[in-house]
Amino acid sequence: MAANSGRDLLRVEDVSTRFFTEEGQINAVEEVSFTVREGEVFGIVGESGSGKSVTALSLVDLVESPGRVTDGEIWFRNADLAEAVRDDHPGAVDGEFVDLRQMPDGVRRSLRGPSFSMIFQDPMSSFNPSVTVGEQIAEAVEVQRRASANPRSTRSRSQGYGLGRLLLDTVVPTRSYVSRESRERAVDLLDQVGIPDPAERADEYPHQFSGGMLQRAMVAQALAGEPDVLIADEPTTALDVTIQAQILNLLDDLQAETGMSIVLITHNLGVIARMCDRVSVMYAGEIVERGSLDALFENPAHPYTQGLLGSIPDLEDPAARLQPIEGSVPDLVDAEMDDRCYFADRCPKAMTECLDKPPEFPVDGDDEHAAKCVLADHDYVESEALDDDYFASPLEGMGDTVEGEADD
Amino acid sequence: MTDPLVEVEDLEKYYYEDDSLLDRITGREPTSVKAVDGVSFTVERGETLGLVGESGCGKSTTGETLLRLREATGGSVSFDGEDVFAMDGEDLVDFRQRAGIVFQDPFSSLDPRMTAREIIAEPLAVHDVGTAADRRSRAAELMERVGLSSAQLDRYPNEFSGGQRQRIGIARALALEPDFVVCDEPVSALDVSVQAQILNLLDDLQSEFDLTYLFIAHDLSVVRHITDRVAVMYLGEVVETGPTDDIFEDPGHPYTEALLESVPRADASEHGRRVDALPGDVPSPRDPPAGCRFHTRCPYAREACRETDPQPVAESDSAGDEQRRIACFRTDADHDYWASEPLEHARAEPMADDD
Amino acid sequence: MVDLDPLPFVSYETLTRVREALTPSPRTVRNLRKELRQSGLAKLGIVLIVGVVLMAALAPVLAPHNPTNQNLDENQLPPLGFDRKTTNTTTEIVNGSISIVNQTTWVNSTVEHPLGTDSLGRDMLSRTIYGARTSLIVGVVGTSIAALFGVTVGLLAGYYSGRIDDVLMRSADVMLAFPSLVLAVALVGLIGTASLRVPDPFVLVGLTPNMPETFTLPGTVIIVVGLVNWVWFARVARSEALSVRSEEYIKAARSVGASDRHIVLRHVLPNSITPIIVLATIQVAAIILLESALAFLGFSGTTLSWGFDIAQGRQYLSTSWWIATVPGLAIVVTVVGINLVGDWLRDALDPGIEGEGGGP
Repeated sequence: MAANSGRDLLRVEDVSTRFFTEEGQINAVEEVSFTVREGEVFGIVGESGSGKSVTALSLVDLVESPGRVTDGEIWFRNADLAEAVRDDHPGAVDGEFVDLRQMPDGVRRSLRGPSFSMIFQDPMSSFNPSVTVGEQIAEAVEVQRRASANPRSTRSRSQGYGLGRLLLDTVVPTRSYVSRESRERAVDLLDQVGIPDPAERADEYPHQFSGGMLQRAMVAQALAGEPDVLIADEPTTALDVTIQAQILNLLDDLQAETGMSIVLITHNLGVIARMCDRVSVMYAGEIVERGSLDALFENPAHPYTQGLLGSIPDLEDPAARLQPIEGSVPDLVDAEMDDRCYFADRCPKAMTECLDKPPEFPVDGDDEHAAKCVLADHDYVESEALDDDYFASPLEGMGDTVEGEADD
Repeated sequence: MTDPLVEVEDLEKYYYEDDSLLDRITGREPTSVKAVDGVSFTVERGETLGLVGESGCGKSTTGETLLRLREATGGSVSFDGEDVFAMDGEDLVDFRQRAGIVFQDPFSSLDPRMTAREIIAEPLAVHDVGTAADRRSRAAELMERVGLSSAQLDRYPNEFSGGQRQRIGIARALALEPDFVVCDEPVSALDVSVQAQILNLLDDLQSEFDLTYLFIAHDLSVVRHITDRVAVMYLGEVVETGPTDDIFEDPGHPYTEALLESVPRADASEHGRRVDALPGDVPSPRDPPAGCRFHTRCPYAREACRETDPQPVAESDSAGDEQRRIACFRTDADHDYWASEPLEHARAEPMADDD
Repeated sequence: MVDLDPLPFVSYETLTRVREALTPSPRTVRNLRKELRQSGLAKLGIVLIVGVVLMAALAPVLAPHNPTNQNLDENQLPPLGFDRKTTNTTTEIVNGSISIVNQTTWVNSTVEHPLGTDSLGRDMLSRTIYGARTSLIVGVVGTSIAALFGVTVGLLAGYYSGRIDDVLMRSADVMLAFPSLVLAVALVGLIGTASLRVPDPFVLVGLTPNMPETFTLPGTVIIVVGLVNWVWFARVARSEALSVRSEEYIKAARSVGASDRHIVLRHVLPNSITPIIVLATIQVAAIILLESALAFLGFSGTTLSWGFDIAQGRQYLSTSWWIATVPGLAIVVTVVGINLVGDWLRDALDPGIEGEGGGP
């Protein structure tokens, strides 16, 4: 639940991320645009292969080779930063917004912590198993404190734990990278995320934590820098449903306390419904529909969104039959992607004009609600419909030619 | 009323740790992990019974032990009147033909070195059914029936998508024309849209082949959709059994209530709903709480709950047929429970539903 | 396709299963060919191996001389280009006084013996060519014995786990504790060298009448080698079996009623085979080296092997160095070739994780 302060915090414009692999170029994210406002929870929903996780990684420059963010701009509102870089990079500053893609690596790295923070699906692999949880969180706190001690210098922000430091600490055991204040703050953070007996638990190792507790610890670590934007990539997918409820409550509470924005990435529409104010739906690397929660759930315009909603069993009102989406997700390999609407081969309402890439149309005059589908613009015309087997390829690769009367 | 196809009574599966030679010599007591501890339920012919619970509750272990894929340490299972654990030789071969299983992970449940045809035909080969040509044509038939093209029979599992692999697994399970199929989380590893395809498929196959399903899952919406009756498990015990619609609309056991409360619904009205989440973690089956295993997290827990473990109590409907079984003292208006003190973590009870 | 003749105590059905298990899937073969095209080192390795194999197979045809012909007049001739100068110092008593005479003679290489001759005048080139037979046969047969026994033990230990695993693996550990050479020595002492004389087909047919009529297989060495090296195969097979047996498709096979034998042969073996194949190639190299060591010590049953030549050449290292060096180089080339292919096979057969993640 968020009190919408309304101001844009993050403006993503036409960002594309591609992976250059041996098998070819994979367009994981294609010309994606969205805005995240202050104090809101912004959801990105999609199935596997939709590009939602890569989008998140692209925001914080964590995309690893052979992938690269190839186009687009990521405008982030940070008045201090804008001031500091205005002279050196005039083209990258627009009022209080800074285009992060044009910033040097050091600056981007320095933003991780105080501006952006991320939590992942599997907490067990996000922690070093041989260091206590408290120590790891304290390290995160310490890095932030050292960086903020010298705010003008972007260089000091990126200073962390170097080889010299390591050697020194090995040789002189009484010195420690992490100060006492940082340790105390770590315990406070553990308390803030609802871990009982935080002081004792800080001295335990990750394997001694349960899944839910470790996820909370990950949130604590993410909060160390007091971020403006918390990116949560499938934070509850690996958790039991009762623990999931706890974590979602926690994120809710933290957001109310700190006023940070959350970008919540998941495939679970229930979680989206519970947490998000605005949502975008991704398919095959594109945002196919975006809008407020109500708009999306009550008036979905894109057939994929409709298909998704129709294919999930309803807890409270079981339908006799589910309406699945036929076929399967495309491979995203550049050479194999035609220049058409990517969903056309699975769409029950595909028409001849869908063989061109549809632009984004506003839905029902609502600015906030838009869909990349011609059906948002005009109604379905039966006579223009594509044949059912228009896209059926003769048993090539993974394209699912589903024959037989198995599904309706 | 016809006999149930499967009857499980007090099924127990304990794992013993600290049981090596060295431990025996040093006289250490083997610790037991009570993965399944006294589970009882029945599966009627032609129905789908759901087995639901969170991780560590023992539902998958129950499914496998029921099929004798693991050796039970106690209890009994009868299939069509016969004692499964006493079977051997011919009877066991028979049982294997009549009871099949579909696994959760479409990636590891198919041998990566066998073609789809070989995978589907393997059960037939093991039981020496028909000639090689017969088996080939049956594999093709099954492949088509589950919605895949028989021209793809020569492909290897890694050339199929997750949903397609799961279909192959289903085809394999059907090869011997079983009566009973254990579906162990068959859609949990699949994308939402593919889940729907597979659920519809399972539905169709059930009507076409007159199958009885034991459907193990943790996703309650899926369970609601596909099952007729459901058994809810917690830490190795069944806490509630009954018709699906009844249980979902009016849960009897506090755990069931909490589960349903925790599931986020895919509906705009869900936004901002404050969920009363269960506190704490799921306890480890190595060291279950004394008394009622749920009492450490139960919002209605009282002293009595710490002392004894409630046994399932049957509730009958007006016709005298047993409808529900709930393992909670709160179902009994005269129980000592009502006289004992609430535990610390219990809420003051605002809701006066129940009974 | 691997061709196996039915053995009296192994059923045809079992053989079919084993054959199926060892036949790589069409996809694997396709994959391998593509990988081969990309790896220059692998091609080099294959060239080397093929070269050595051809050398061994066609030895009577390729060798210029009979490798066992001694000719003391032509002993210790150097290889081409390495004409040797020897200085003989003799002490003579001439007219009551001691005089030291230095006689310098040249020993010239001849085209007849391009790689020189050994101390008994036998042609080094021919000996090296024939020596390939011993090394390869010992390598391949020895490895096969080790693999057969080791894989069986390992698969059973890994699949059944528990007591069986303990017993089998502890005995493997015991074997591992024995230094292989000591074991070899003991065995040779016990059963002798058990050499097998095999008639040479080329000579029989009359193609190469001047070559030795029979070829000696060092039986004991092969046995020793098999006995000593099975442990490596057992370990690898066991760890593979352990990881495979917890896969769900094994559970699926059991749910269908498959017997343990069916599961091991049809599921566990094929999925464990890759590292075993790679290990086998590496083991062949190691076994060739072991045979050389045994011949060096005099425990081989044959005198026509690389190891034996190294042994006899040892005392001449400072003078007629080629007697030991030429066979030594032959070993190096063979082992390098095998290791190159083994390394490449390991990387090429690694299936990797294909397929999409089915969930989020």
